[in-house]
Amino acid sequence: MNKITKFVNNASIKRFRFWFQIVAFFIIIYGGYAAIEIGENLPTFACPYLDKPGGTCFLMGLQHRFTLPFDQFISFRGLAIITSILFFLAGFVFLNKAWCGYVCPIGTLQDWFTKIRQKLGIRYSNYSEKKFKKLKKIKYILLALLILIPLGIANSIPGVGKLSHDWGVPFCMVCPGRTVLPIFNGDFSQLTIDFSSKTKMVFTFLGMAVTGMFFAGAFYKKRFFCFFCPMSAFQFIFKKLGLLRLVKDGSKCTKCGDCYRACDMGIREIADDVENKDIVKDDCMMCFKCVAACPEEGCLKVNFLSKTIYKATEEGFYKRTK
Amino acid sequence: MEKERIEKVKKHIRTEAALEAGQVLKKITDNFPDNPEGMKYFYDLLSRQFSEEILPKNGKKLIGTMCVQVPDELILAAGAKPVRVCSGSFPYDNAGAEFMPAKTCSMIKAIMGLFQVEDFREKFDMLVIPTTCDQKKKTTEILKDMGYEAYSLAMPSRKDDDNSRYYWQNSVKEFAADLMKKTGNKITKESLKKAFDLKNEARYEFRRLFKLRMKNPAVIYGKDAFLIANAYFTDDIESWTAALKKLNDELEKKVEEGFSVANAKVPRFLFTGSPPIFPNMKIPLLVEEAGGLIAIDEVCSSSRLLYDMPSYDEQGLYDMIPAIADCYLKPCTCPCFVPNEERKDKISNLIDMFNIDGVIYQAFSGCQLYEMEQKLIGNFLMKKGVPMLYIESDYSPEDTGQLSTRVEAFIESIKMKKKSSAAKKEENKKDKK
Amino acid sequence: MKVYAGIDIGSTSIKIVLIDESENIVAHSTNPTGASFHKNSMDAFQSLLERENIQKADILYLASTGYGRKLLKEADETISEITANAVGAKKSAEKIGTVKTVINIGGQDLKGISLDEEGNCGNFVMNDKCAAGTGRFLEMTARTLETSVDKLGELHFNLKGVPASINSTCTVFAESEIISLLANGHSHEGIVVGVHYSIAKRIARLIKRIGVEDIIFFDGGPAMNKGLVEAVENELMRELYIPDVPQITTAFGAALIARSVYHEEEVHA
Ligand code: SF4
Ligand code: SF4
Ligand code: SF4
Ligand code: SF4
Repeated sequence: MNKITKFVNNASIKRFRFWFQIVAFFIIIYGGYAAIEIGENLPTFACPYLDKPGGTCFLMGLQHRFTLPFDQFISFRGLAIITSILFFLAGFVFLNKAWCGYVCPIGTLQDWFTKIRQKLGIRYSNYSEKKFKKLKKIKYILLALLILIPLGIANSIPGVGKLSHDWGVPFCMVCPGRTVLPIFNGDFSQLTIDFSSKTKMVFTFLGMAVTGMFFAGAFYKKRFFCFFCPMSAFQFIFKKLGLLRLVKDGSKCTKCGDCYRACDMGIREIADDVENKDIVKDDCMMCFKCVAACPEEGCLKVNFLSKTIYKATEEGFYKRTK
Repeated sequence: MEKERIEKVKKHIRTEAALEAGQVLKKITDNFPDNPEGMKYFYDLLSRQFSEEILPKNGKKLIGTMCVQVPDELILAAGAKPVRVCSGSFPYDNAGAEFMPAKTCSMIKAIMGLFQVEDFREKFDMLVIPTTCDQKKKTTEILKDMGYEAYSLAMPSRKDDDNSRYYWQNSVKEFAADLMKKTGNKITKESLKKAFDLKNEARYEFRRLFKLRMKNPAVIYGKDAFLIANAYFTDDIESWTAALKKLNDELEKKVEEGFSVANAKVPRFLFTGSPPIFPNMKIPLLVEEAGGLIAIDEVCSSSRLLYDMPSYDEQGLYDMIPAIADCYLKPCTCPCFVPNEERKDKISNLIDMFNIDGVIYQAFSGCQLYEMEQKLIGNFLMKKGVPMLYIESDYSPEDTGQLSTRVEAFIESIKMKKKSSAAKKEENKKDKK
Repeated sequence: MKVYAGIDIGSTSIKIVLIDESENIVAHSTNPTGASFHKNSMDAFQSLLERENIQKADILYLASTGYGRKLLKEADETISEITANAVGAKKSAEKIGTVKTVINIGGQDLKGISLDEEGNCGNFVMNDKCAAGTGRFLEMTARTLETSVDKLGELHFNLKGVPASINSTCTVFAESEIISLLANGHSHEGIVVGVHYSIAKRIARLIKRIGVEDIIFFDGGPAMNKGLVEAVENELMRELYIPDVPQITTAFGAALIARSVYHEEEVHA
């Protein structure tokens, strides 16, 4: 038992994650071909615009379900929102935000871009602290819009009237999941602008712009898109329910900042917060790179059901820095 | 004539310094039984440094550093040898007192005395002095005036905000560039990686010693631990690491055999404040000769020297150099920073980890920062319920008599407390029965 | 009778206290330290034993304290004067309550000790390198005024008019200040009061660093000087407790420690 824990703690999380992500990526993108269907309300970008994905993205359904007249909230259709959230949670609790760090294909893609950049020896760019704080809010705005716009389709807004159905699934229209992932099916059809209506044109145009930004951004900035991702915002609401946890023993922390450096999301608190035990912030994707980068014995830990499965150790730190 | 006289004076100071070092070393070795075999390397090294050759000779260019904050990975990566020039020698302190203001701290005076008496102008390619405390800052200019190639490494006064962080990262980047110019060697990611590994190996052994010092009863005296760190100032990093590895192996074996230098009743102290630098081992020796044990310290000449470890995410200078910079700024607990809450946290942690009974706080007279922070640390410790002895002193041996009384009284009071709390525990046990 | 001995070898005098098993003082003496204090200590010890008719073999344990403590090889235990002082003070004032603060003026030092609830020495302060405000200072004053130290208290209370103010705390400068005050026609009494307040102020400043709390115990030779006591009381605005024989508290503490160490060793043996 001891040997196993030691082996795990000394392990390189980078390598483990790299392979895990590849497997997850294939399951999500091509899972359907092998009759894999993990679930319908996955807390990750298993985009139904794909040919045969191994599951379905929760956000798509959410947007559909909120296209709901107010009077039908207390009805079978209203209930569907709750059940879908429950299904979402059923998947979510196991991995918590690690869905982002380990499974999400959009996240994985961004990590691959980073790998390519590193290989080319090109430096990364970073946001300043002020900008970072501002940008962080965008995902909540997107999350709000993604619920409000569908409501606006089903209900009349004073002065505007009902929105046309062209406004449906508004987030999907700008989501890189729709435009980028199908490329892996050899399908480039989403990378076009739809001129059938003004709204569609604007949306598809925006989608293209986002895609362009996604490629360029993810190349220079680690996990560029994740800062804006409404999925991450939605997950964060439920982080307390997660069985997988990232915890910190602040008394052991020297504030050396090694974890902060390692963090692709640039989460400052991981180093500077020595008060809170639960250290998962809204941007965190639970990749656990920080745990691997921390040199203080047992300072950062990964717990599953309150049992430590991976933790920072001095020895592991040396093994990994060699 | 005048020249001859000056030479005579210099020779006299050198002799005195060697004498002082010899005496202190003799105390360190002779007044304590069972010095570890592995310590001999360090004793010899320090004794040689004062009797034969002050500066190491290994063909490499020398870069003098004047603070634990100077990232010596970069110096190593540039193919030069870092030498920390902070001095603890009283004769040099006296020499420096001749031209430095009376209220200057002993360490600065000793450094300045050293650079005045010994003409090192040709020896050092660069003397790197971070802008930590005011005295060090100004020293840079005086050294320049004396004809030295003194380099001021700009440090922020805060460490908790990103402005300071980037400011410092930039100043380290510039330092790397200037180093390349001065040494004529390029810092590449390969050479930096090698320097990283070298230093991390040293840190690894240092942390091993750190953990060995947690043992209660103790296997090594604090005075020896101070010397080990002191030797790092000038020694070749590889041989230093090898020697420490040998010592650690020896100590580990001793632990297994159940050997200890002090029984579990001996009061264990944490030493903090101004750094004791050989041969200024005045206070640590007073404590340990009076029957206390310095289990751990929180000073920049010893346990803070090699504790914090940098790690980088991407192998490229653009990530490695900022990684080094961060590691020298963020966890640093030097009182030149405001706020410096981390120092309290660190001390508090060490107290818990090392089973500490009391804290010895030394401030060099004239070192305003340590003198002033004393109050804050003192209040903090009072709340924590750990007694602290505050000593303001300098390199001169004049006050040894007074100090020994104070140190002894402190130790006695802790012993009494330990006794009475042990007695209470006994009683409680009896009551329960 | 079996006794325990405490010897306090100070810079000006050697104090010896003998106590019995129930911690009562059996005998005590005070002798000048002189130049060769090892010999003088042994002589003082010898004469005390002779006077009290006690055999050397009856001394179960001897603890030494004070500046010369380490040089007395005959001692079974050495103890710093701060601890000994604290222990002695706590015991001496037992009948009136728990001592919280101890002020001690010795031949060339000035100490403040604060004790916790259990009488353990908590915090302490000491003057650093110089002899300002110590017994030396009083001696110098007496010499300059051509009187003796024991007369100073009396002079203090005979003051008519205003006291002189002494600004220097350094013994050397104070001496010349006193001389010029005399030349300017200040009265001896005024100068003595001035000196007492100057010392008292220094004590107050030092002692406040550790916090002053009742009961305050004031000992050491100069505590016999009633004038000085009044000055200190006024400066601290608190009453002081002065033991009957103020100069022997530290030696008494050493004797008490001797007894307890002896018993401990017995238990272990
Ligand atoms: S935050 Fe990133 S990893 Fe997580 S769901 Fe969004 S795109 Fe995927
Ligand atoms: S487009 Fe994006 S939000 Fe919509 S279903 Fe696909 S991955 Fe989910
Ligand atoms: S805080 Fe840690 S787990 Fe979260 S994103 Fe940053 S490195 Fe990954
Ligand atoms: S790496 Fe560990 S010790 Fe360093 S700041 Fe992060 S949590 Fe603290």
